[in-house]
Amino acid sequence: MKKTLFSVAGFAAVLAVSVSATAVLAAECPIKIGGLAPLSAPGAVGGGEAMRDAMLFAERDINAAGGVLGCDVKVVIADTEGLPEKASAVMEKLITQDGVVAVGGGYHSSVGVAAKDVSNARKIPTVFAETWNDTITGDKQKFIFRIAPLSSWASATLWKAALRVPGIKKVAIVTENTDYGIPAAAETKKGLASGGVEAEIFGVDIGMQDFSGIVERVKAGKPDYIIVLNTGEAGYNFAQQAADAGIGPQDIPFQAGQVALESKAWWENVPDGNMAFVQRIGTPVATWNAKAKKLNEDYKAKTGKDAIESYALEAYDSISILAQAINEAKSTDGEKIVTALENISHDGTLGRIYFPYGSKKDPSVDGKGDEWWHQWPDPAMTMIQYQKENQNSTDAPIIWPDAYKSGDAIYVK
Amino acid sequence: MEFPVIFWGVFAWMISWGVVGSVVTRRVYLNKDLDTSNAGMVGSMLGASTGPVGLILLWIKTPPITSRMMLFPSLAAVGVFMVAFAIADPNNLCVVNGSFVASQISNGLIIGIIYGFMALGLTLIFSILGVVSFAHGEFYMIGGMITYFVTTVWFPGINPMIGIGIACIATFAIGATFERLFLTPMYSGKIGRPVEYGILITFGLAFTLQYFVQALVGANPVKAKRFFDFPRIRLPDAADPWLIKTSRGNLELFDTISISNPRFTAAIMCILVFIALMYFLRRTWTGKALRAVSQDREAAAIAGINPDRMNMLAFALGSMIAALAGAMLVQAFSWLPQVGAIPAMRSFVIVVLGGLGSIPGAFLGGVIVGLVEAAGTGCIPDAQQAASYIPAYGMFVLILTLLLRPTGLLGRRFSSATHGKF
Amino acid sequence: MLKKTHAPQMIGLVLVIFFALFPFVYSANDYPYIMHIFITGFFYAILASSWSMLAGYAGQFSFGHMGFMGIGAYTAALVSHYFYMSPVPTNFCTEFAIGDSYLIILNPIGVTSSTLAQDCLKQAMEVWNGSVEVTPIPVWLSITLGTLMGGIFGLLVGALVLPLRAAYLALFTLGFSEILRAVISAEIAITRGQAGIELRYMFEDGITLFGRRFEQTDKLPAYFVMFFLLLLCLGILALLARSKFGLFVRALREDQDAAAALGVNTTRYKVMVFVITSMMAAGAGAAMAHYVGIVSPNNIVILQMSLVVAMAVIGGVENFVAAAIGAILLEFMLEMLRSSFVIGPIEVDMTTWRLVVFGVLLMLTLRFSPKGLLMPIIEYFTRGHIAKETVAKRDEPKMGDASRTESSQ
Repeated sequence: MKKTLFSVAGFAAVLAVSVSATAVLAAECPIKIGGLAPLSAPGAVGGGEAMRDAMLFAERDINAAGGVLGCDVKVVIADTEGLPEKASAVMEKLITQDGVVAVGGGYHSSVGVAAKDVSNARKIPTVFAETWNDTITGDKQKFIFRIAPLSSWASATLWKAALRVPGIKKVAIVTENTDYGIPAAAETKKGLASGGVEAEIFGVDIGMQDFSGIVERVKAGKPDYIIVLNTGEAGYNFAQQAADAGIGPQDIPFQAGQVALESKAWWENVPDGNMAFVQRIGTPVATWNAKAKKLNEDYKAKTGKDAIESYALEAYDSISILAQAINEAKSTDGEKIVTALENISHDGTLGRIYFPYGSKKDPSVDGKGDEWWHQWPDPAMTMIQYQKENQNSTDAPIIWPDAYKSGDAIYVK
Repeated sequence: MEFPVIFWGVFAWMISWGVVGSVVTRRVYLNKDLDTSNAGMVGSMLGASTGPVGLILLWIKTPPITSRMMLFPSLAAVGVFMVAFAIADPNNLCVVNGSFVASQISNGLIIGIIYGFMALGLTLIFSILGVVSFAHGEFYMIGGMITYFVTTVWFPGINPMIGIGIACIATFAIGATFERLFLTPMYSGKIGRPVEYGILITFGLAFTLQYFVQALVGANPVKAKRFFDFPRIRLPDAADPWLIKTSRGNLELFDTISISNPRFTAAIMCILVFIALMYFLRRTWTGKALRAVSQDREAAAIAGINPDRMNMLAFALGSMIAALAGAMLVQAFSWLPQVGAIPAMRSFVIVVLGGLGSIPGAFLGGVIVGLVEAAGTGCIPDAQQAASYIPAYGMFVLILTLLLRPTGLLGRRFSSATHGKF
Repeated sequence: MLKKTHAPQMIGLVLVIFFALFPFVYSANDYPYIMHIFITGFFYAILASSWSMLAGYAGQFSFGHMGFMGIGAYTAALVSHYFYMSPVPTNFCTEFAIGDSYLIILNPIGVTSSTLAQDCLKQAMEVWNGSVEVTPIPVWLSITLGTLMGGIFGLLVGALVLPLRAAYLALFTLGFSEILRAVISAEIAITRGQAGIELRYMFEDGITLFGRRFEQTDKLPAYFVMFFLLLLCLGILALLARSKFGLFVRALREDQDAAAALGVNTTRYKVMVFVITSMMAAGAGAAMAHYVGIVSPNNIVILQMSLVVAMAVIGGVENFVAAAIGAILLEFMLEMLRSSFVIGPIEVDMTTWRLVVFGVLLMLTLRFSPKGLLMPIIEYFTRGHIAKETVAKRDEPKMGDASRTESSQ
C-alpha cells in the first residue's frame, strides 16, 4: 500500500510539473496595453462594445504611426462584465497572464474602484476612461489616472443647467440605485437646494421595465423639471413611459439619461423623446480637431451608428495617451510611465490632455480636493437639447454652458 | 410617515394575532375532529382583522369552513391594514390624492391582466405536464424579439398582426420541438424523478435560449413602434371631454386615469385571446381532451386520448402564450435578451397565488399581484426605495400564500402522480 | 495490488496531491491568474458539491443556493466593514465596552462619490492622530459568523418551504434569492448596493508560512484556505452520505411517503440537510468575499445559480465528488473559452457563445446522461458504496415499485 501511495504521489508530481512546463514566457514585442470594457451582462454591453471598437482603432492608429519603442502595440480587451468582483480578477489576468504594461478603458465606476487597487499594487499605470466616481482618483494612488469627468463636478452641470429653467421650484430626480446614480442624485439635490429648489429622489432597480407606478408618483408630485440618471435601457423605458403618461420631454422640461446620446436607439426606443435635454461630455462637434473627426468617420463606417459616443472618444484617448507616455518614458517600466504621464501633454480627440496634480504638485496646494489627483481638469461638460425629431445628438444644439452654446433652450410647458 | 408608531403597532398586533389564530385554530379544529385544511388560513385572517374577539367566537362555535369564511376576514384584514396606514401617514399620496389612487389602480389592473395572461401559459403547462417551465420568461423575450425583427427590421411597415402571428408560430414550434426532444423521457418512467428532471431541463433551456439570443442580436435595447394608433375621441363633447379623451398614444378617462396605448392594446389583446382560449378548452374536442388529461391521465387514455400528444400541445401552447404577451409588450418596453427574468418571476408568484394549474386563478392572481405592486410602488413613503423593491413585493405575496394557503386561491389537487402531491 | 474498485479512491488521491503540489511546481508567469481560476474553481466546487447533496441525494431542488452564498458573503462583509475593536472609546461611534476594550460599530455613510464624507472611525482617528490602533474583526471570525448566518437563514427558509414539494421549493427559493438581491441593491446606505461593499483581504497584512513571506495579493495562502475548505466540505458530505442520516436522506428522495411511514421524520431530516448545505454555501461565500475583497449583489443573480446547477449536473448530480470535480473543470473551461475564433467570414465571439455552449451541454447531459459526464466513469469502476442501494433499486424494479413506475406516466 505504501508503494502505491508513493507511485501515486510521484504521478501527481509529474502531472503538475508537466503542466507548468507547457507555459510559455511572454515575448517583448508587441507591447501590450490592457483595455477594460464591459462585454457581457450585467455590464452595460452597448457601452462596452463602443469602447472596445474605439480602443482597437487606437491600436490601429498607433501602429500606423510607427508603434511604440519600435514595437507594435497590442490592445488586449478584457471583459469586466460590469462586476466589481470580476474587475480585480480581470485586472490580475491582464497583468499576469497577458503581460500588459499599462491599462486603459473602464466604464463602470464600481469596476474602476475595485480594479484600481490591483493595478496600483502591481505598479501598472492605469488611465480610466469613463469611471466617474470621485474615489477612483481620490485615493491618490500613484499609478491611477483618469480622463473622465469627476462625478461631483458632472453633477454640477446637472443642477446648474436645471436652475436656469424659468419658474423652477420642484425637481424630480429618477435614478438607478447604483454608485453612479445615487451620489449623483444626492449631489444634484444638494446643488438644487443651494438655489432654493426642492428635489425629490426616486430610486429604481436597474433592469426595471415597467415604470408606470413610479411615473404616476412623479406626476402626482407636479415637478417643473425631471432629471433621469438611468443608464442602459431603463433610461429609454422611463422616458417613453413618462411621455405616455403626459410628463415626457414634450410636456415638461426633461433631462434624459446618458443613453439618449445614442440618437438612433433613442429615437427607436423613445419616439416621443423630442425636446429632451441630455448631458454630454466633450466639445461640440464643430470644434472637433482633425483626429476626432477622422475617428468619427472610421467609427461610423465600422459600427453603422450615427456618431461616435463620448465614452468611445475617452477610451480611444486612454489608450493613445498611454502609448505616448511609454514612448516618452522610453521604457515599459511602470514608474517611468507614471513620471511621463505626470508631465504629459497629449493631443487627444477630446482636446489637450494633461494631469496638473500628482506627486510633483498636490491638489491641496491649489485648495482642491484629493479627487483632483491625476485627474484631467478640462473634460468639457455640456447640455444639449434635441429640438427636431430624429435629430442626431451631434447636431443637436448645445444650450449650456455659455462658452459652448450653439442654440437657445426651448422650455416646453 | 408621520406616526410610524401607530402603523407598526397595528402591524405587530395583526401579525401576532394572525399567528395565534393560525396555530390555535388548527389545533382546535383538530381536537374536534374537523377538517383542518383551511383552518389556519381562516384563523390567521380572523385574528389579524378582529383580534381575540373573532378568534374566541370561532373557537367556541367552530363552524365548518366555507370559502366565504376565508374571503371576508381576508378582506377585513386588508381593510384594517389600510386604515392603519391612512391614520399613520395622513399626508401620503395614496391617502389624500384620489386621482393618484385611481391611476395606480388602473395601471395595476392593466399590467396585472397582461402578466396574468402570461402566467396562464405557465399554469396550462403545469396542469398537463406537471412541470413548472423555468423557460417561460425566455419565451416571452423571444416573442417580443421576433415581433420586433419582423415588424421593424425585416419588413418595416408590415401589419403588426403578421409579426405577432409569426412570433406565435415560431415559439409554438420551438416549444413543440423542445417537448419532443427533451421532455419525452419524463413520461416513460426512464427518469427516476420526472418533476425534478422537468425543472432542470427547462432551467437549462432558459439559460441556453437567453444566451443564444444575446449572441445573435447583441445587447442593444430595441423597441417596436406602436402597433395601432387610437382614433381621436372626445366624449361627451369636444370642448369638455371629461369622460374620454384620446390622443394617438394615450387614453384619458375622467380626466384622471391615463392609459398608454401600448398597454391598452396589449391588455385588450390578452383578454380576447383569453376568451378564445377558454372557448378552445371548453368547446372543441382537442381542448376538452386537454382538460381531461389534466384531470385524469389514465382515464383520458382509456377514453382514446393520446396523453403524449396533449403534452406536446400543452407545452407549445403555453410557451406561445408567453410569447404572445411578449409580442404585445415589445411596443411598450425596450427589449433585451435579459427582459424575461422579471416577468417570469412574476408569473411564478401569480401561479402559486392563483393555484398551480388553475386557469381562472392565474388571471385573478395576475390582477392581485399587479395591484400589490402598484400599491407598493405608489404608497411606500420613502420614494428613493419604493421602486427598488418592486421585485420583492410579489415575493411577499408568495410567502404569505405559502404560509396561509399553499394550494393557492383557486388551487385544486391533481389526480395523476407526476403532478406532485402538494 | 490495485483493485479495479479502488481506482476512484486512487484517482481522488492523485487529484488531492496534484492540487496540493500544484502551487509549488507551477511557475509560469500567468501563475497568479491560473491560481485565481483554481481558487474560484474550489469555490464553485463547494457550491456544486453541497448543492448536489441537497438536490441529488436529498432530492430538494433549491435554486436559493447562491442566495445563501450571498448571505454568508454579506454577513462577513458587513462584520468586516462595520465592526472594530479599540482599546479606547472613540466618542464618535456607537460603542460597547467589552472587558478592557471597546467594540466599535461604524456609522454607515452609504455610497458617496466624494472623499470628504468620513465615517466616525476616521473622524476619531484624526483626533487620535495615530496614537491609538484599532483592531479589525479577525477574518476567521467573520467567516464563521457568515457560515452561522447561512445556517440560521437556511433553518428559516427550510422550515417554511420544505414541507412542500419540488415545484414550490424551486419557485420559492428562486424568489428568495431575488428578494435578497433586491434588498441588498436597495439598502444602499448599509450595503453600498451595486457598488459592492469592500472588506478586508483574507491576509490583509500578509502572512509568513514556513519562512516564506506572502503578501496580501499572493495567491498561495488563499489557495490553500479554499482548498482546505473544499476538502472539509467533501469530508463532511462523505460522512453524511455514509451515516444513518445519509440513509434516511436517500430514503426521502426515493420515496417520501414510504420513508414517513417507516417513521422517518421527513421534514426534520430535510431541514437538517438544507441547513447543513446552506452553511457550506454561506461559508464558501464568506471565504470568497474575503479573498476577492469586495462583494456585490450581482453574485446572487440567476445566471450564477445556473452556473452552479450546470456544474453539478454536468459533473454528476448524484455524487458530490463528481460535482466538485465537474465544477473545477467547467470553471477552467469557461475561462479558457473566452478567446474568439474565426470560421470563414464569420468571427465567433466566444465571450457570448461560450455560455450557449454551456447551456446546450447542460441540456444534452440531462437528456442523455442524467447521471452527469463524470459519474458514469466513476461508476464504471465501482458499483460503489455510495450509490449502491439507489442503483440496485432502479435497475430491478420490484413488485412494490411497479405501481409507482406506472403512476408516474
